[in-house]
Amino acid sequence: MKNRLSPPFAIVIGLASALSHAQGMNAPAPAPGAGPLPIPVVSRFENFGEKDGIPSHKVHCVLKASDGRIWIGTPNGLCVRQDNGTFRRYGTEDGLSHLTVLSIAEDPATGDLWIATLQGLTRLSGGRFTAFTQTNSGLPNNVVYGVAVAEGTVWAATAAGTGAYDLRTRAWKPYDQTNTVMNEPWCYAVAPGKGVIYLGVWAGGVVEHDPHTGTFKAYRDPDGEFHIALATDSGPIVDVTSWVAYDQGILWQGSYFGLARYNTGSATWRTWVQDKTPLLSNFVNTVFAHGRLGWVSTDRGVSVTDGDNWVNYLVDKEGRGVVRIYRPGKPPETRMMTTALPDGFIMAVWADDHEAWFATSNGLSHGVFTVSSDSSALTSNP
Amino acid sequence: MRNTLFAIIAASIAASAALGADAPPVSSAEGRDNRVPGALPAAQVPGTTAPAASRFIYATPEEEYPPYGGLPKELWPFANTEPYYRYFVTRMPFRGPGRDYPPEANLKSLRIGLVDAPKVGANWERSVRTREGIVLAMEEANLERGPGELPFDLIEHEGIAQWGGAANLAAQLADEKVLAYLGTIDGTDAHVALRVTLKTEIVMVNTSDPDQTLTETQIPWLIRVLPDHRQEEGRLAELMVRTCGCKRIAVLRAGNRFARVGAHQFEDFARRLGCPVVQELLFSPGATDIPYQIAAIKESQPDAIFFLGEPNDIGRFAKQFRQAGVKARFFGTDLLMEDGFLQNAGDAAEGTTFTFYSDPTRQDPLWTEFSARFKKRWGHEPDTYAAYAYDGAEILLHAIRISGPNRWRIRDGVYNLDYYQGVTGWMRFDGTGSNTAPVCIVRYEKGRRVFEPQVEFAPPSNAGTLTRSP
Repeated sequence: MKNRLSPPFAIVIGLASALSHAQGMNAPAPAPGAGPLPIPVVSRFENFGEKDGIPSHKVHCVLKASDGRIWIGTPNGLCVRQDNGTFRRYGTEDGLSHLTVLSIAEDPATGDLWIATLQGLTRLSGGRFTAFTQTNSGLPNNVVYGVAVAEGTVWAATAAGTGAYDLRTRAWKPYDQTNTVMNEPWCYAVAPGKGVIYLGVWAGGVVEHDPHTGTFKAYRDPDGEFHIALATDSGPIVDVTSWVAYDQGILWQGSYFGLARYNTGSATWRTWVQDKTPLLSNFVNTVFAHGRLGWVSTDRGVSVTDGDNWVNYLVDKEGRGVVRIYRPGKPPETRMMTTALPDGFIMAVWADDHEAWFATSNGLSHGVFTVSSDSSALTSNP
Repeated sequence: MRNTLFAIIAASIAASAALGADAPPVSSAEGRDNRVPGALPAAQVPGTTAPAASRFIYATPEEEYPPYGGLPKELWPFANTEPYYRYFVTRMPFRGPGRDYPPEANLKSLRIGLVDAPKVGANWERSVRTREGIVLAMEEANLERGPGELPFDLIEHEGIAQWGGAANLAAQLADEKVLAYLGTIDGTDAHVALRVTLKTEIVMVNTSDPDQTLTETQIPWLIRVLPDHRQEEGRLAELMVRTCGCKRIAVLRAGNRFARVGAHQFEDFARRLGCPVVQELLFSPGATDIPYQIAAIKESQPDAIFFLGEPNDIGRFAKQFRQAGVKARFFGTDLLMEDGFLQNAGDAAEGTTFTFYSDPTRQDPLWTEFSARFKKRWGHEPDTYAAYAYDGAEILLHAIRISGPNRWRIRDGVYNLDYYQGVTGWMRFDGTGSNTAPVCIVRYEKGRRVFEPQVEFAPPSNAGTLTRSP
């Protein structure tokens, strides 16, 4: 093949992937720019759409459950991938509270799924759906943007505050402008941290809540302005938070103004905006945190980063896959891929050390990571 | 909540050739159009009330917009420091798919949603007038639909008076398959609905919320046709500090989100002009007497008081300030145009100066002809809510005419507007999608509203060809 990946690059990518897998994402990062890339690289995308039983173009969210099954949320119902590779759909006729599914979380203790929809929160337990709405429960509002389960509590981020549902007592507790530090109760995401809960609040930055002490702490944009980011690395990129994600001491803030990361250990912030950093777009739909990596879903593709190194996946005008790699102190590397995401408008990602799943505006995609024997999937510069 | 399906059946008697004058803009992947207006052509499609294509001027690719709503640099935040990054210099595109999706099967009408205000509270009356403007635009549009063309339907919902209620309505409108929607009257509701709009990908036109932060979210599914509080309060702050020489400005505002966001914007401007406010005091909406606030403000010896709240409340308090011997000049925003202020303030209204959007006394044909049609339909003159609602509906109807029943293309036809000449005058949309047309200065003199003369704003290629009558 004329554009095949040059052997040295293939080896670097292969080694990087192999090392990532061998060491897990807990391994200490090498010095910036040195050593193997500490980010797994997708070698090919396997795409799924309406032909596979997905009932809409758009896929809002994706979750790989602990039993290995892939669940997706769409504007036309909840779907699960079956053994034959096709998707089975569940709708309101099955007990889902609304067809538009925005977010899915799994209870790690029971395997129950909690499904956030435009009209209520639905639990799927033992094959049975149970709907929670603002009229039949203590859910603050029917529009549920995000859901998470931690320490026996379901957290639901809604258009009128966050609701906490105690699975033991079955009691709801609302969190809004009357009992927290929020100015307004518009919550869009929730992420369990280490003993705390992070709430992504529209025009309220990120609110950290310790349920054990009942305390709140707000992280706000230091300049307080929407029209500018006065300085870099000084706090949340803006107060309009579209998403929060957390893993291993790293908190990510997604917004339509860029990306921010808070290292809870060092209490330091970093921020990224398009054009001035490798971040593909300021329009960040969601972030998925795995280890110290953030998988950033934007309207121009996916950025994966540990804060220093970046791997970006784009779709060019001809629909071809492009991967762009940024390493500190080195020029960016651009390579064509033999496969591509079905669309550049990415809604959400689920990833671990072995694979990634991408919810896009034009179907679902499975990202197969590079292994040393599979480097032919990447080709050299066009 | 009530769900009213308000069907307007097309008479389909107008000439279908009329649409020929409205050649659709060519949507690229970014949905932009390079149309440049020439000399002023006819304002309307001949034989109809439909706006001519020349009244719609669309953005060019990668077009840059002046920072901070085009306000003078001295009003910008951190004006003397070049920030790390500026937003809204270009307009956020929508990069997702959808423009080539086929229409819904078996469409019987072209549905447009409307979220009214809740029936409780001062916004209900404004909502009624907003609705009148929208209904008139839709009735006129339906009269002009040609044979075989689908009529427009208005899918209307009364607002829900609780946090988050508008989110539920926005979700419901998606279930009802609207192509776009108008609303809401209340700024909080508009914010809440907007986030749902992003998920459901249904474009929203706001015609009545002046909260400047509404369009500052980078969600490319909303425009606002009404100039915002930033435009109003920037003009007011300059007037108060620079022109009138006020040095001790006090602020009295309602204790709600609307007034908080607006007042803090004004206070920023006053501070940037070297005149930080000496007091900011709150009142409960609907309060009858505020002796403690009046005493505190009097104690601070202000030479000007900036009010933000419902006009009935402000009128009552203006009277109480004068009765308490406070001689400070009174200033406020558009709400002081309403009769409730004048009725409650009485003689205390004298000299009160406020900003307003569009001069209802002007004589340009678009306005006078609209006023006549409106009065014929509803039996009274249009107010600003009706007029901007009419313009907002016209923008939406035009986008549907040129795009067909495709939500993503309709979004392009709405969101990519740079200029629109409506019955309220020329609009100029900034990088956030908000109308930044200059606002008027109005003053109460002997119980009458006196508009300061100003040159009508027009797009660059038409500059100087339109003037507003004093």
